[in-house]
Amino acid sequence: MTRWDRSVPVYGVPVITRGFWALLALIVVGLALTAVREVVGLGVTSGMSDPFAWGLWKTFNVMVLTGLGSGGFAVGIAAWVFNNKKLHSVMRVALLTSFLAYSTGLAMLGVDVGRPWNFYWVVWPFTWNLHSPLLEIAVCMSLYASIPLFLENLPPLFEYLIYEHPAWRGLAEGCEKVMSKVYPFIIGLAYILPIMHQSSLGALMVLGGNRVNTLWQTPFLPLIYVWAAAFLGYNCVVLCLLLAKLAWKRDLDASVMIELNKLTVWIVYSWTAFRFLDILVRGKILHVFTDGYYSILFWVETVLILGAAYVLSTEKAKKLSVMFQAHALCALGGMIYRFSPTTLAFHAKDGATYFPSAIEFIVSMSFVGIAVLVYLIAVKKLAILPGSNAEWLKMAKYEEQVKPGIQLTGYAPVEH
Amino acid sequence: MAMTRREAFKNLAKGSLPILAAGCVSTALPEVAHAEEEKVAPKGALGLLYDATKCVGCKSCMVKCSEYNELQPDTRTDGLHQAPPALNYFTKNIIKLYRTADGSDHSYFKQQCMHCIDPGCMNACMFGGLRKDEETGIVWWLGAKCVGCRYCEIACPFHIPAFQWDGFNPKIVKCELCRDHIAKGGKQPGCTEVCPTNAVIYGKREDLLKEAKSRIAANPGKYFQQKVYGEHDAGGTQVLYLSRVDFDKIGLPDVGENSIPSGLKYSHMLYKWLALPIALYAGMVAFAGKNFKEHSHHLVEDQKKTGLRPQL
Repeated sequence: MTRWDRSVPVYGVPVITRGFWALLALIVVGLALTAVREVVGLGVTSGMSDPFAWGLWKTFNVMVLTGLGSGGFAVGIAAWVFNNKKLHSVMRVALLTSFLAYSTGLAMLGVDVGRPWNFYWVVWPFTWNLHSPLLEIAVCMSLYASIPLFLENLPPLFEYLIYEHPAWRGLAEGCEKVMSKVYPFIIGLAYILPIMHQSSLGALMVLGGNRVNTLWQTPFLPLIYVWAAAFLGYNCVVLCLLLAKLAWKRDLDASVMIELNKLTVWIVYSWTAFRFLDILVRGKILHVFTDGYYSILFWVETVLILGAAYVLSTEKAKKLSVMFQAHALCALGGMIYRFSPTTLAFHAKDGATYFPSAIEFIVSMSFVGIAVLVYLIAVKKLAILPGSNAEWLKMAKYEEQVKPGIQLTGYAPVEH
Repeated sequence: MAMTRREAFKNLAKGSLPILAAGCVSTALPEVAHAEEEKVAPKGALGLLYDATKCVGCKSCMVKCSEYNELQPDTRTDGLHQAPPALNYFTKNIIKLYRTADGSDHSYFKQQCMHCIDPGCMNACMFGGLRKDEETGIVWWLGAKCVGCRYCEIACPFHIPAFQWDGFNPKIVKCELCRDHIAKGGKQPGCTEVCPTNAVIYGKREDLLKEAKSRIAANPGKYFQQKVYGEHDAGGTQVLYLSRVDFDKIGLPDVGENSIPSGLKYSHMLYKWLALPIALYAGMVAFAGKNFKEHSHHLVEDQKKTGLRPQL
């Protein structure tokens, strides 16, 4: 039985691997294609058209990935607001995935829009159209990613400087001290902003009116969206932890994993119950069975999400392969849900259809690639992934051999 | 993983309480939402009245529209004729034909911006790239404020705004009732100026509405549902339609009488004066602050035991 006491870097593995070069190649190709898109426009490079004006870049890179990157606030609220002490150990994973998902999503948004140079109006509140859900998202997401989420991700960097670069130690420790003074105010902001913009992502499609199929279109779309973000965030954190176990044989703390599963299960149960209740109250419950393709799509989402949550609530989920599959399927269902209002359950004019072009796929994947690459570097250089004190001591011994002069144990107490 | 019912409820609450709280407030507010005024057309609201029964499908209006708006003719279909398949960034106005499969019934119809009284596109637009003239109610595009996000295309129930899919400096193209042409001294929009049968006429919305109703009264049974499309549809539009065939067949969907932005009225309540977000923020900071203090205390204790530097 391992107990996660602190975050420990992945040590003894090279940063530059074959995977690193593969990702880098993908990113270079993607950025080159982005340059092409900026010159020739969206018509040639994407599958989008006037009836289907939003494609993969907005729906996948922004709506889906920031959903998966919601661990930072979904786990954070449970840990800090509801004082679930077990979850502190996984916060750094949640925060890093959130930051990477949000920053690459926002960058992707800049590629997707046609006149990005006009985005500078965002700093001039008098031009804001406060009724626009997209304005709320643009302001709130940039604010979240650049201030509270960014600050929350700094402590591992400070520690890196303290251990590895003695010249910066004084400054980094000073920053740490300031941070610990204002931390509650930062994390409060880091929870309210995502609740606002994750729900606004749902509000976006309220303006789609009856072109969004009635099983999805509801005045409560914002609430259902932010709730879906919550379980997607948990899925993503658990999957990252399990992948770390697979890739670098990191030990798991069973009690924390069980806690994460429990919360996932209850968020999913309440989400599903609310969704059915909403459909029932709007008097559309028969559409669940009678709407052909849309009914099937609805059940695909529901069975994936609810089925996976049910499996997580049973003893079977103690087996890691089952836990992994359940979270992966739950995340898949949630991702499909986020694709539905904009794409899968969207009746475009004259029955127009949309399928992303190869360029859209590659560019989209390359932006995901940036996030993955940074993640892989970060967990090897910084203390992100949770581990035990014993693991830290082992790591310290190894590092002190490799890099003489470095000291990773025995520090004077820091006032908090 | 066995858990008692008590634990189960506790977990449920932990996972979703803040979100639930937001939801409860939003359900409790419909009465307040009613208080929000319904939008009415401005005094000098200008518009068009298109009577599909009078249109002969000559497409002169399309040619004149291109001329007055300095648009290139869309000849991409055969390289010869101006024959766009739909509204697009070459085409602000289009005449289409509805015909049943056996040819027994047909009607021409015209599509251009409806100049909604409460436009979905304008509500969607981030920085006011789409705006409504306070006097005339004309909905027009201001390039300097447009980010090119294409949310207007999602929010328009009539599928009007068209995005320029070519080039590095794309525009949103839609009918602006020839406001530039009229500002330069023109008397009326291109389409109404050239229409040989007066199928489309230009004027103040209230006059056009009177005219439409008098036509219905004069020809009982002629017009579909004896209805002026646009009087109340989508919260009312400044362009009005009369038709003999079902409106749905001629590109005028049944969108109900509520404006598109009214779908968001409950969400707007949640943001009124930012009161709810600020209250939630204060609550979370209070809890987080208390728990943070406790957590920091544990960190120091742990350090005494292990000798390892605490992590925030």
